[in-house]
Amino acid sequence: MKSTDSSGAVLSANSRLRMAYRVFKGAFFFGRKGLIIWDSWEMWVMQIVITPIAQIGFFAFLSIYLNYPSSVTQYIVIGNAIQSMSFSAVFAVANITSQDKWQGTLPSTMVTPANRVALFIGRAWFQVLLSALIAAAGLVYAAGLFGVSFASADFAGVAVVVLLTSVAMISFGLLISAVGLYMRTALIVANIFLFVTLLLSGVNFPVSALPGWLQPVSWTIPLTYGTEAIRMAIAGSSLSALLPVLGEEALDGLIVMAIGYFLFTGFESLSRKTGRFEEY
Amino acid sequence: MGSLDDLTPGKRTEGLLGHKGQVIKACVVLTAKLFFADPQWIIPSIIAPFIFTLVAFFLFGGQAASGSFLLYLVLGSGLMGMWGTTIYGSSNSIGFDRWNGTMEATLAAPIPLSWIALGRVLFNTFEGVINALFILAIGLVWFQVGFSLVSPGLFLLASVSTFLSLSAFGLLMCTVILLSRKGGFITNSMEIPVYIATGTMFPVSILPLAALPFAFLLAPTWGIEAIRLSALPGYVGLVTNYWTDMAILAVETVAYLALAFVLFKRVEAYAKRNGTLEEY
Repeated sequence: MKSTDSSGAVLSANSRLRMAYRVFKGAFFFGRKGLIIWDSWEMWVMQIVITPIAQIGFFAFLSIYLNYPSSVTQYIVIGNAIQSMSFSAVFAVANITSQDKWQGTLPSTMVTPANRVALFIGRAWFQVLLSALIAAAGLVYAAGLFGVSFASADFAGVAVVVLLTSVAMISFGLLISAVGLYMRTALIVANIFLFVTLLLSGVNFPVSALPGWLQPVSWTIPLTYGTEAIRMAIAGSSLSALLPVLGEEALDGLIVMAIGYFLFTGFESLSRKTGRFEEY
Repeated sequence: MGSLDDLTPGKRTEGLLGHKGQVIKACVVLTAKLFFADPQWIIPSIIAPFIFTLVAFFLFGGQAASGSFLLYLVLGSGLMGMWGTTIYGSSNSIGFDRWNGTMEATLAAPIPLSWIALGRVLFNTFEGVINALFILAIGLVWFQVGFSLVSPGLFLLASVSTFLSLSAFGLLMCTVILLSRKGGFITNSMEIPVYIATGTMFPVSILPLAALPFAFLLAPTWGIEAIRLSALPGYVGLVTNYWTDMAILAVETVAYLALAFVLFKRVEAYAKRNGTLEEY
């Protein structure tokens, strides 16, 4: 479908880009309020303080109980610190389409002539910032409560890894959200993927410890590259040394995002044909 | 409003169970029907315990080859499953009334809300038993755990008592959720901390001293101790023995119930007086 203005004239590429930016901006600002009750301070406390500390603590205590050396416990703590962003990056983003269904706003969203890429990504963009904040908080707890040393850390590298992993994991959340457009709700799939990264992404033990057939699945998840990169950055690897793994993470994130987008538009088209946006 | 005794005696207000018993039974049956109409909702509360157990299995590594270690893990994950279902069920038993707009009708019923909530929570905890059995079955088959118990009778007694203590705790949680719309915050915040504090995957003795009072105030801590003592040969846990654990479990369960009924009376009166059941 070609974009036109109110008089029916076909818009130029520049105009389309400007409109897409406006959609992105609107989706970002209004989506922030519409997703979950972010303005409630309790939700912030839960996501940024309680859940990361509890999750890191659970696996750190397990490592201590098993008498692993402190280097192993620190490996686990760092992995869980970065993984703690999943609640925001995967769970909240995955539920965007389900939230639309529950609130009755899905048909209205679907009939807008807005650029789908801008709408799709814009609504999730706030979660990039929140995910980065949660992961940064997780790393602060790792240092302050669980004794992880940042003495050799390359802080520029740490910052880039956190940001890139947040963006890449959002793409993973959007992929599930696209599937949620077709399903009755994405909540169950979102719950599965919220936790499955604990097992598959090298968070608590190296990917090589998984059965061989499962390891390729691990490397399709952007977080797997993120956990590897964050450990390297904390150990002192420079940004240039991180580039190969960051490049792989970015590429993986882009591929996942593209698959999510095509699924979204495909299910949207199917919904339009069948008229079953919210009916099951 | 007259008391229930003013009503014309009929089938619904007579019988062996009495008024309150009939309300509990009706709520158990209704909650069961709602669950079996859409049983997929058990998945979210299974996923976290299951993934946490799998991660623990990988972390246990060579030690996992020991049958008693595996049974230790599987029993812990069973308790995690029961706890997850109880806490989410407690939250949802009141939360669904809010979402469905049936809160006023439920509160206007001529029976204290505590009995309605008790019926719902009982089934939710039973759902947790289904959840625990499911996780146990997977554990037994997947990890090929031998299931020879030290004392099957004592194991059954400890399991049923733990089930009742979780129901009582779930009822207590309902009072908090009745008063607040932050049910999601409370349930999400409590899930993993309780995994830690009750010693599901490691003994509470390795926790920091400051956390121990909290752990000892949670009845499931004593429940899982009693379960492990009756199941695992040569299990050394806390300094207490089976019957001491059971006695503490019983005292704390009664305390939860008493506190829940007192709080329900006050919270229900407060909510009705202020008219803030659905409006904030």
